[in-house]
Amino acid sequence: MSVIWHQQTHGVPIRKAKSERTIALLFLAFVVVITLLLAAYLALVADNVRLSREIWQIEQDLMAAERETQTVASECARLSSIPVLQERSTQLGYQPANQVEYLSLGAP
Amino acid sequence: MLRGPDTRMRLVALLFIVALLPVLGQLVRIQVLEHPRYQRDVEELVRRRYALPEPPWGVITDRNGDLLVGNVPVYDIGADINLITDTVQAAQRLAPLVNVPEKDLRAALTLPEDEKKITTAWVPLAQDVSAESSQAINDLGYYWITMTPHWTRYYAEGDLASHLLGFINRDGQGYGIEVSQMRFLKGETVDKTGALSGDSNPLPNEMADGMEFPYSGTDLRLTIDRTIQAYIEGELAKAVAEYNAEGGTILVLNPRTGEILASASVPDYEPYRYFDYASSESVGVFLDPAISISYEPGSIFKVVTAAAALDCGKVDLNWSYQDRGSLEYGGIIVRNWSGGSYGQQDLEGALAHSLNVGMATLSTQVMGAHTFYDYVQAFGFGLPTGVGLYGESGGQVHLPDDWDWADSYLATNAFGQGIAVTSLQMVTAVSAIANDGVMMQPHVVAARYYPDGRSVEVPPRSLGKPISTETARTLSELMVRAVEREIDYAQVPGYRIAGKTGTAQIPTTGGYDPENVIASFIGFGPVPDPQVLVLVKLVKPDVPYTMRWGSQTAAPVFHELAERLFVLLGIPPSNLMAAGG
Repeated sequence: MSVIWHQQTHGVPIRKAKSERTIALLFLAFVVVITLLLAAYLALVADNVRLSREIWQIEQDLMAAERETQTVASECARLSSIPVLQERSTQLGYQPANQVEYLSLGAP
Repeated sequence: MLRGPDTRMRLVALLFIVALLPVLGQLVRIQVLEHPRYQRDVEELVRRRYALPEPPWGVITDRNGDLLVGNVPVYDIGADINLITDTVQAAQRLAPLVNVPEKDLRAALTLPEDEKKITTAWVPLAQDVSAESSQAINDLGYYWITMTPHWTRYYAEGDLASHLLGFINRDGQGYGIEVSQMRFLKGETVDKTGALSGDSNPLPNEMADGMEFPYSGTDLRLTIDRTIQAYIEGELAKAVAEYNAEGGTILVLNPRTGEILASASVPDYEPYRYFDYASSESVGVFLDPAISISYEPGSIFKVVTAAAALDCGKVDLNWSYQDRGSLEYGGIIVRNWSGGSYGQQDLEGALAHSLNVGMATLSTQVMGAHTFYDYVQAFGFGLPTGVGLYGESGGQVHLPDDWDWADSYLATNAFGQGIAVTSLQMVTAVSAIANDGVMMQPHVVAARYYPDGRSVEVPPRSLGKPISTETARTLSELMVRAVEREIDYAQVPGYRIAGKTGTAQIPTTGGYDPENVIASFIGFGPVPDPQVLVLVKLVKPDVPYTMRWGSQTAAPVFHELAERLFVLLGIPPSNLMAAGG
């Protein structure tokens, strides 16, 4: 290997090598920072997606619970409605009060 | 050629650059030159119109919180028919659950031959399927079935208070409170355009960009009491059957507050079956006779004439007139209901005997048109009361300035002929007499409960004071004496009842129906502190002519109602009230 070839490939002047190493380090630092930022952004987006899905699921669950609540409330109302109460009373042996007499009490 | 490393490096770099140029070019083309087109394509793909599940409407309860109208979930069933593998079996299993004939269902589930190349084909199968059936459908495990939940109204008490509550159809049209209070009852739905995923759920970005969520409607608490309502509906049905009446109305109101405690009318309907009535063209039944149908009130209107005469100061308890049985005015001859003459009569006698001639004398010879109609309007006749129910009529009052005015109206209006009012207007006007001259706004909504937890009570509101307190008390006493003297059937032992009967002729083209009448009774009690006011109206009672007077048909019904109402409302007898101060 000739001296000329060696100088051309590896014989870089020391001052130039130093500056290029600095640039390389800065570039590396830049790449690292960008990577960290992108990773953080990715994590944020992923978290956002997860939370959005959770909110959507909670909303669906809420609506399902609302449907159950309304159904139960309606069923309770049906069971305590006047026609049902009348029917149950009749089954228990009560009779409709066809002839009601009121007592009028005088003032003491 | 390629003598040194620098040259080779440059060559390699050049090759890379040349290779990257087309990529760069494509990027520029896609991202810059054709950006709008691709943006549009993407938006068409993901941005679609969507609606989130419908929130429930507000529920309606009676004054004690008992549910009258609630919600139950129902489902609209559909199918992606291009995904079905066994149409025959699917139709067989689904038919009983969606209540569709198997043959029709099989036809609906079969993809047309010439359209087999399409990638999606959704068809609706059934609407308003119950939750139980929907669960059974879900249990079948058909992944191609779609089920969209929504709400339908549930009437817990069946057809109770049907005219008052009403209904609303899918187009937002209907009757009763359901329509008049729709702006409160209906929740806030979310219907917008946004980015959706393949399964039609909003994409995360859509959620993050301030997604709106639906919220349910405002709950209403009404002034009516379901126990009283059920009771008066039963009594009205009995009365209509007993007197073979074509229809009838009973209104119960608290004259102190204007709260409507109950309102029943026959014919009525089952609001949850409104579509059956609509399809059979029986839509006339939806009109609430208590507020939407005006009629000539007849003699119960005499209390308004008497109130006006007393209040204007031209008549007092010493006033009297000579009743000759007839009075000629404006080209007509007014006669008493019995056709007889009653001699010298004072105001109490004119009211107690319900003398047409006496009332016509008051309007034509004592008050005059100006004074009389000022009072008629002050009592609210001719205008809707503003009760807040759909389809309220204002009735019809002819005024001297009207193009169709006839002088005879001044005489006939005094005893309730030639003037059209609604039952609610009549009750509202008489409530002023019961409430020391103050006429309260009739209303049915007691409170609103908003989904955010706020609640707003609807306070009693005065519509004005058409007559003075003194006039109101004097007239109340005259009405009490009228009941005690002439209307035995309306009396309630232990309670002082003020009331007035009416037997109104029904106008027809060119005159009055010679066969039919509207029998009515309006009364309140216990005097001197009335807590309840009741109007009973029976349309065309089909009983022997001599038995169809208001005093013989409507007054006994009032008696039954008042007797029970005083107990239900915990109102002590008059003597106890007087003793208690």
